[in-house]
Amino acid sequence: MSDLSAREFVANFFESFTREVVAGGDAAAVVDRYYTPDIEQVADGVTLDRQRLIDHLRPVRKNVISCAYDVHEAIRTADRVAARFTIHAETRRGRTISTEVYLFGELAPDGRIRRTTQATRDVSAS
Amino acid sequence: MTTFQVRGMTCAHCAGFVTEELESLPGVESVAVDLPTGNVTLTADRPIRPAEIRNAVEAAGYELAET
Repeated sequence: MSDLSAREFVANFFESFTREVVAGGDAAAVVDRYYTPDIEQVADGVTLDRQRLIDHLRPVRKNVISCAYDVHEAIRTADRVAARFTIHAETRRGRTISTEVYLFGELAPDGRIRRTTQATRDVSAS
Repeated sequence: MTTFQVRGMTCAHCAGFVTEELESLPGVESVAVDLPTGNVTLTADRPIRPAEIRNAVEAAGYELAET
């Protein structure tokens, strides 16, 4: 993954993760392929550890048919990533929920995410 | 106006899923989610029964907190 540009890294990471989430399979195994066991994700003041991240996949699977990611900008060093991107999630009710994300993250040497702090805002078309 | 707490919402998309289900209830005019607390405020042009709220929240994949 080190050959990829930062934007490609972010897009590939989340597109691949979401594809596996939506496809089903063991939720813990999916999370463990993308996040280290000591993951701490803080998004809009809500902290998720590994178990809460795994639990989060159940409603995502129930509601999301597909996801597309627009990575507007990103910077990556050996163990840090920062990105601004928009997630377009198509729901089973046919609506598209679009969320802009501002992410700062720490990466493990194998490219998995160890820690992120995120702020988001809803940019869905009304 | 009705206020209740939903468990399990952890991101903006969770809030969107719950909002989408509640907005599909007849008569619901607006839904506002406070993500850090899980508090949801719903306004409607008719009384919304607790069972309708519970069913909608569970349809979205989340839990209504007991009051």
